[in-house]
Amino acid sequence: MRSMLRPLRAAAPVRAVAAILLFIVLAALMDHARGEPTDSVGEAIYRHGVLGSGKQLDAIRAAGVHLAGKDAACVNCHRRSGFGSKEGFISIPPITGRYLFHPRASSAEDLDLPYVESMRADRDPFTDATLARAIRDGLDSEGKPLNYLMPHFALSDADMTALVGYLKSLNQRKSPGVTDTVLHFATIITPDADPVKAQGMLDVLKQYFADKNTFPIGATPRLRTSRKMMFMVNRLWQLHVWRLTGPAETWQGQLERHFAKEPVLAVVSGLGGKNWAPVHEFCERQAVPCLFPNVEAPPANADRDFYSLYFSKGVALEAELIANSILRQGSGKAAKRVEQIYRAGDSGEAGAQVLAASLERHGVKVRSQVIAANAPGQEGVAKAVRQSSGADALVLWLRPSDIAALGEAPPAPSAVFVSGLMGGLERSPLPPSWRSRAQLAYTFDLPDRRRVPVDYALGWFRIRQIPVVAEQVQVDTYLACGLLAETLKHMADTFVPDYLVERVEDMIDRRIITGYYPHLTLAQGQRFASKGGYVVHFSEPQGTRLIADGGWVVP
Amino acid sequence: MKTFAKTLVSATALAVAGTLGPLVAVSQADDMPEMHDPHAHHHMMQMPETTRRMAEYTVPNVELVREDGKSVALQDELNDGRPVVLNFIYTTCTAICPLVSQTLSQLQRKLGDERDQVHLVSISIDPEEDTPARLAAYAKKYGAGPEWQHYTGTLAASVEAQRAFGAYRGDKMNHTPVTFLRAAPGKPWIRIEGFATANELVEEIRNMLPSS
Repeated sequence: MRSMLRPLRAAAPVRAVAAILLFIVLAALMDHARGEPTDSVGEAIYRHGVLGSGKQLDAIRAAGVHLAGKDAACVNCHRRSGFGSKEGFISIPPITGRYLFHPRASSAEDLDLPYVESMRADRDPFTDATLARAIRDGLDSEGKPLNYLMPHFALSDADMTALVGYLKSLNQRKSPGVTDTVLHFATIITPDADPVKAQGMLDVLKQYFADKNTFPIGATPRLRTSRKMMFMVNRLWQLHVWRLTGPAETWQGQLERHFAKEPVLAVVSGLGGKNWAPVHEFCERQAVPCLFPNVEAPPANADRDFYSLYFSKGVALEAELIANSILRQGSGKAAKRVEQIYRAGDSGEAGAQVLAASLERHGVKVRSQVIAANAPGQEGVAKAVRQSSGADALVLWLRPSDIAALGEAPPAPSAVFVSGLMGGLERSPLPPSWRSRAQLAYTFDLPDRRRVPVDYALGWFRIRQIPVVAEQVQVDTYLACGLLAETLKHMADTFVPDYLVERVEDMIDRRIITGYYPHLTLAQGQRFASKGGYVVHFSEPQGTRLIADGGWVVP
Repeated sequence: MKTFAKTLVSATALAVAGTLGPLVAVSQADDMPEMHDPHAHHHMMQMPETTRRMAEYTVPNVELVREDGKSVALQDELNDGRPVVLNFIYTTCTAICPLVSQTLSQLQRKLGDERDQVHLVSISIDPEEDTPARLAAYAKKYGAGPEWQHYTGTLAASVEAQRAFGAYRGDKMNHTPVTFLRAAPGKPWIRIEGFATANELVEEIRNMLPSS
């Protein structure tokens, strides 16, 4: 469908009226297609504050506060879904066509509309004319002033028609993966994912779904009368495991086929290797929320996208922590030369790129040694270490098997940094001569501080006899499931993908059980929930006890 | 919640803003007549309901990081002798904070030359996202002058500052607009709940400045 859009548009005359007519036709066409039209005037106004003429949208608030362009875009408050939100005491109402034009009802219970907290039932339905008045003059359908936050927008009649058309089209389509009885979810495993971790993750996911279906919400008689409670109907959760195969270029096609066969409301957790970008792209294109996959190297610019939410920036965050540490260390003597080692085709490459860029900005020379993907550990690693001698710092983006084969550490004073994510965190099998010198990038809360929230998950695993084979991945998976469940509970029956993402954005702050992370937070434009980390070293020659070199750093 | 919404709706709808057809430019809009505007008839704009009260707060001994990257003591920043206007914001906030920050921006303009005699202090309630660099960009966006600084720091420090002013509401989506003003160290704080307008703030500040 989307591929049809461009030729159609290109052939159309550029005049505004024609464009709007075309938009209306397209909007009708799109009713049956996935996604909203992506390049309509109405959408450009709503999401980007750009008018049909290409000029900036202008608006003004009481007391003369002026807004323009992106800052004036409707999406800021009413959100991408059009369902609005709640901020403090301020309720921002849903403004999709169905909510604006519904007939007056005495209460939300009498409306045939998905429940949204800030919806209003008891008021006159808007008409195109009163809606235009609301947008231009800030008056509601009954002529009363709207909330102080609602700006007054300057829109031409043509732009107004386009915007109102867009509001009418918003969320008209049926959400994929939502039936009267079942909510469908998928998890995605790429072929380069670690098989042990994949099994550990699947054990948690399958058990979580099984638990969920033992006591589905609403399975018990409805004792509570509020509309919100009534809508928490009895839906089972169904998990689809999408295992990708073959080269990365084919993954998107595979995902499209999975999605066509088994439509899902969201992707929950998942496991990748070095390359998660095709999955990320798929989720953006098909408007599928992708909630907290286990990936070490998420796409760097995920902040600009919408549907994928990650726990952290992974190895890129580690690189920033290491760069920060290298630039501050050296007791006054600035580092001049840094060496780093990674394996071709592994996540370390992404970390190494970020580190090199960060350090080179400060005039530090960085040399990367790449070990061939299938070179035997001992030989390749030991050689790379030998060649790195004389550097002020050596950074290892290596897996436990390579770390165990490091041999003798280079002579001091070279500082040694290790990717905790890749190297196995406090269980990293560093040989003794390395262990005493190494500093680990540690993008989680420290072990003794996270004990309570992690024990919560571990207890759950123990009772359900889930073997712990990759603790951090499994705890993150459990956390992703918990976040999904909690968010869905607050969505009542409003299962719309965009709204799901927005609810996670707004609610994640409230989570107290945050697994390995000290704190999770998101917002519009934030796609990495945990922002910082520690640099740590081992406190003893043996064991897993760590000491932080300084506090939690947000680079 | 409902009661609050009702209060807002029933609040005196003072007539402001002329017809919106051709949108008035910022500079003119800035000083819109607030009453008896002959063009105002049905173009009513909701006026914010604010509550103002005096309060005593103990400024905690916390270290914050200013947008220039410097670590500073909150007490020092507030006790530099100038009257202080303080609020809490975060840079990815899209509903409340843009208006609150624009109000401070307007306040700077209205104060004119007098603005250097006050200190505007905006503290992030999302300090991990709001790095000094992000705060600096945010300050620039709102045209912050030399008298207006933005602060971040550890999450704990931000929470402590919020708590000290009775402004901590658990999570950032639960925040409400609130502005604090104080004439000088040792003097009580004025707490304005709701969207204080620039005019309201100018009036408060003029009362605090030595009459010239």
